[in-house]
Amino acid sequence: MPGFSLPQKPRHAWRNRPAGLAAAVVAVPLLLTGCTDNTKAADTSGGAIEVVSSNTECKVSTGRVPSGNLNFSVKNEGTEVTEFYLLASDGLRILGEVENIGPGLTRNLVVTAPAGTYTTACKPGMEGDGIRGALEVTQSGNQPTADADFQHLLDTATAQYSSYVKDQSEQLLSGTEQFAAAFAAGNTAQARDLYAATRQHWERIEPVAESFGDLDPQLDAREADLEPGQEWTGWHRAEKDLFPPAEYTAMTAAERSAIADRMVADTKDLVERTKTLEFTADALGNGAKELLDEVATGKVTGEEEIWSHTDLWDFQANVDGARIAFENLKPALQQKDAALAASLDEKFAALQAELATHAEGSGFASYDKLAPEQVQRLASLVDALGEPLSRLTAAVVL
Amino acid sequence: MTANLLIGLREGLEATLVVVLLMAYLAKTDRRHLLPRLWAGVAAAVVVSVGFGALLTFGPKGLTFEAQEAIGGGLSIVAVGLVTWMVFWMARTARTLGSDLKSRVDRSAGGAGWGLAVVAAIAVGREGLETALFLWAAAKATGESTQPLIGALLGLAVAAGLGYLLHRGVLKVNLSRFFTWTGAALIVIAGGVLSYGIHDLQEARLLPGLHSLAFDISGAVPPSSWCGTLLKGTLNFSPATTWLEAAAWLLYVAPVLFLYLRTNRKAPAGPAAPGAKAAVKAAAAV
Repeated sequence: MPGFSLPQKPRHAWRNRPAGLAAAVVAVPLLLTGCTDNTKAADTSGGAIEVVSSNTECKVSTGRVPSGNLNFSVKNEGTEVTEFYLLASDGLRILGEVENIGPGLTRNLVVTAPAGTYTTACKPGMEGDGIRGALEVTQSGNQPTADADFQHLLDTATAQYSSYVKDQSEQLLSGTEQFAAAFAAGNTAQARDLYAATRQHWERIEPVAESFGDLDPQLDAREADLEPGQEWTGWHRAEKDLFPPAEYTAMTAAERSAIADRMVADTKDLVERTKTLEFTADALGNGAKELLDEVATGKVTGEEEIWSHTDLWDFQANVDGARIAFENLKPALQQKDAALAASLDEKFAALQAELATHAEGSGFASYDKLAPEQVQRLASLVDALGEPLSRLTAAVVL
Repeated sequence: MTANLLIGLREGLEATLVVVLLMAYLAKTDRRHLLPRLWAGVAAAVVVSVGFGALLTFGPKGLTFEAQEAIGGGLSIVAVGLVTWMVFWMARTARTLGSDLKSRVDRSAGGAGWGLAVVAAIAVGREGLETALFLWAAAKATGESTQPLIGALLGLAVAAGLGYLLHRGVLKVNLSRFFTWTGAALIVIAGGVLSYGIHDLQEARLLPGLHSLAFDISGAVPPSSWCGTLLKGTLNFSPATTWLEAAAWLLYVAPVLFLYLRTNRKAPAGPAAPGAKAAVKAAAAV
């Protein structure tokens, strides 16, 4: 009776297995990732963030929102189906999305987002990379309850800092490629324009770059610091040629190309290596302090950019890097030492305000134009910030 | 309007195809009395999806993005498992039709009938939540314009219409071919569902490789076009496919199709073979 026994087996399998399996598959993710508040209450700014997607535009009603639950209300005013994404600052990791927003429809997206920089994107027609914009999420102070776990706060901090480093190193690479092309082609004016702005990406993540003992001297050695027999390459080699001192023999075209190619190759190497870096909370805290020391020893004295005098750009970038590391750690610091967090906030703001008085166009005044008392003021603000900043690591890690 | 219609059509087709092939199978093997169970499964999925969608749209709690993707992706992979099981079950029971008394087959189908309802429920529920969320959003927008809702419902209606025509067409197909082709079609559809499920899990970051594309022809086959809609609705074809999706599709479809076709070819040589065709014909004629 082969035909009789055969259908018996599936009968039991059918009844029990699929239904149970289906229930498990639905229940498990629900338990793991769960539900989230449908907006309103948790959002301190009051309403939803309005996003209007048309066929050619992706308008977000605000560029800055406080952290917590972000509620996007995405309206499609175009003629094609659209999608909306909230991406991490690397522009790749999807934090939230709504698909299938038909013309004339509004759909909501709720994402719990800690402070940091994000990318928003609408994708009309569901093709390509979409129309992108930046969104800054500021620290709201009222911590989402899910973040109460201290280790979780530290993990979030290091994860955010690591995407910041990736983002900066990638921008450094694309900037370096443009700079190197202009430099190699003998396009001095353009290379000078790009010099300080591109270096900012380097200066923001300098402690990370310096952790690669071989790349740092190849890319950032100063002539004064060269050891005997060491080959001089990198940014400052190019700087000297772009902003030549008296009695300087300009490089040949071949020399320029060699320097340019080497810079691009070394920067690519840097980007590759930062991809696999893992950060710890103490690395963030110490990195912030290192950046400020960098300012105190190199920038305030004006010896870093001895020919281009773009020290204030580097100054700002070092402060940026330190502030980002601090802000990433801030939610954790607030639990351990709220007074220190407040003091750091205040001192960063004071230094930033002083730096802002030297802004010129999209950049900064030439450092050799600063009066001695102006330099003195900056130096004292750096010192005032350095003291509490040196306590950051201990406060968070111990 | 057209865009909303295409959405309804795409989501509708994805659900309809599996249901239609199951319906045709029941009709062909003269087990129409099991159809209500199939419909019960479909109805349950619709009710749950619509209710859940309304709750998530109007209720105090929403679903996190990861949960949405994990449910969608997880259900897709379960659906693939069930459909695969179904295909082999169909191949096997089709064979036993000849040697067994019909009543015995029916007895076995008694239990499997509820399994059928589960398959139908999952096939529909898989895309149901997403569609329900869309429909509720469209319903909310009716204050401004009813077009999105009409468009989407029209799309669903077209999908149902196409499903009906397919059902009629499939019923006319020669019997021995029918079993081969329905099974093969279900396997190919399941392959698409699997790679789509993988994509969902990649988006939810449960699986890596979301940005490593095997190919991207979304320029030539825009996802919002009729052609893209039909490919997506029937085969779950994505014009921008990741390596993992492509690999999953191949690793599923190639061996399963091979095993299935081998099972099918064996059928006539098996002990049940001699009377099989005649009995099936007799059954179909009733």
